[in-house]
Amino acid sequence: MNEKKTTHQAEIEKAVNAVKAIKDGPRALQIYMDICAKCGTCADQCHVARANPVRRTNPAARSDLIRKLYKQQNSNLFSKIRGLLGGNKSITQEDLETWVRDFYECSGCRRCAVFCPMGIDNSIITRKGRALVHALGMSPKMMKETQAISDKFGNDEGQGYEAFLDAIRFLESELEEEHGIPIKIPVDKVGADILFVPASADLISFPETQMGVATFFHATGMSWTMSSEGFDGANFGLFTGDDAHMKRKNKVLHDASLKLKVKKLVIGECGHAYRIAKRIGGTFYWGNDIPYEITNIFILADEELRKGYLKIDPTKNQEPVTYHDPCNFARSTGITEEPRTLLKACVTDFREMTPNRQKNWCCGGGGGLAVMDSKEEVKQNEVTFMDYRMNVGGKMKLEQIKATGAKYVAAPCANCKRQLMHLMDYHKMDVKVGGVFDLFDKAVILKK
Amino acid sequence: MIEIKFFVGQLMPYFTALVFLIGITYKVSKWIKAPQGKITLYPASSTQIEKWKRIAKEVLVFQGLFEGNKPLWFGTWIFHASLALIIIGHFRVVTDFPLIWSALGMGKEDIDTISAVLGGGAGIIILIMGVYLLFRRLTVEKVKEISDGEDYFTLFLILAIIITGDIMRFITHFDLTLSREYFSALFTFQKATLPADQVFLLHYFLGQVLIIYIPFSKFLHIPGVFLSKSIIYQE
Repeated sequence: MNEKKTTHQAEIEKAVNAVKAIKDGPRALQIYMDICAKCGTCADQCHVARANPVRRTNPAARSDLIRKLYKQQNSNLFSKIRGLLGGNKSITQEDLETWVRDFYECSGCRRCAVFCPMGIDNSIITRKGRALVHALGMSPKMMKETQAISDKFGNDEGQGYEAFLDAIRFLESELEEEHGIPIKIPVDKVGADILFVPASADLISFPETQMGVATFFHATGMSWTMSSEGFDGANFGLFTGDDAHMKRKNKVLHDASLKLKVKKLVIGECGHAYRIAKRIGGTFYWGNDIPYEITNIFILADEELRKGYLKIDPTKNQEPVTYHDPCNFARSTGITEEPRTLLKACVTDFREMTPNRQKNWCCGGGGGLAVMDSKEEVKQNEVTFMDYRMNVGGKMKLEQIKATGAKYVAAPCANCKRQLMHLMDYHKMDVKVGGVFDLFDKAVILKK
Repeated sequence: MIEIKFFVGQLMPYFTALVFLIGITYKVSKWIKAPQGKITLYPASSTQIEKWKRIAKEVLVFQGLFEGNKPLWFGTWIFHASLALIIIGHFRVVTDFPLIWSALGMGKEDIDTISAVLGGGAGIIILIMGVYLLFRRLTVEKVKEISDGEDYFTLFLILAIIITGDIMRFITHFDLTLSREYFSALFTFQKATLPADQVFLLHYFLGQVLIIYIPFSKFLHIPGVFLSKSIIYQE
């Protein structure tokens, strides 16, 4: 019992010190600790707080978990006065256990930041909270396990070389069957112009997207390759707040790009992967003089479409289609128009969701939630993450999709896809969920 | 009473000014020196000019809030706009500006009329909006649940300053020549005697408490909002 108490004491101390260290941390976090006016606007604009309006889902209240501890740790006179006014709070072991749940109930979608009059991005505080529980080994099981697998295999699926090649061969045979001509997916081709990296889930769970991308490269005649070592752009370090893991995982892509001597590293239908490759890792980790450019498949597709030579028959996709802006594309990397250009070229009935683009509602599976189904060994978690995702996190999205009347939701993100598929199943909606390139694959007319 | 007046009128103002200036300078310079990775929130501004235009728009008309929360936007924008008018008006409490008035071709009556309409109007409107913001904090659940003593303290402090100010304008009709004499002595570090007005004493004291409180509280949003917006708008 005593020993247990001491461990708890040590954990609390570690958490407290991490919060204390914010005072010399990144500028944004420092400012966010000071300037929140508690106006409640974030709660109005959060899909979780809308669906389940209780105190713990209120973004400002969640951020206050850290903010109040931070203020309590500042031992000046004003802090003491604030303490009398109820603005400070210390923590216990039980608090830390609820923190895991609280910080994983925020999907880090950044929608609140679009509207916050103070410019506070609560996702930064959420990630700090997650980093803190991760350092204590308290992250949800799925997060810890996926990181361990990823560190070992270089991809989240735990695929070795042979399994990867099998998956590629399978896709190639499917492609040939569908188009009647061989469409290659080159692997480890040194000197290709492009290294293409999807989220590895696209190879196994959502193969139509990967097939569409292969068809796109075939139709455009671009010189491309995939890497048997770096074929997973997903990176759980962004979810857990584990910067060291994020850098290790990003290095796999960097190394593969160098090894294959490519001119471009092109990230696939995964806003999360693109955000890390382009805005967090990439030149920020490996220097501005890296010998390859980092871009996204939608940017390439947009450029090629504009040239006008691609022949596409949109009547192949006549069902009503809507587009879900993944948070990491719309809000964190600024890709909103390119996927729409491609979609509109490939379908006859495109319908916008409202709101959309940077104001789009999160699918409810962001921030890694989509891969969590059980209680994930998170203590003080009343419901499974699955229940939470279906009834709370996905509620706004469900209503939004219903309102469009669409029969196909294109969501270029493995996380969003998984969440939306579950959501449609759970609520017995007759709506298919897939990627954007899935539809391109059906509509493109190839030269035989 | 003499001791209180001496403290509030002769000692506290210098202390207030020092705490405010040092506090704000310390905080802002600490923020600016802190490292910051890119956390751009798209759509971003590609040039500095474009970015600062956007920030100016945010700060002047509360664009994001207008889109995100209209009732609050209405209350708080009018509150802040009235506050801006009132702060500008308070320059006349400190000194007179005969050169500006003559350049504009306005006489003393004109100035007093403008002051009565704009200043008096702002004084009433800000009181109404302040009460509305307090009412909102007490009744709207999502705001109430995140409010603590500090949030109420700031609101009550501001309301007390507004009410004492309004009393001087509408009931006791405070004579500005008295405060101008006082401030001209204060600014030249001479013996400065506060006007013999109890309401003025209270208003002036609370105003200084507010200014001292700024570098230690959520009032840091005044300098902070420029920096925090700048971080997320920057491409």
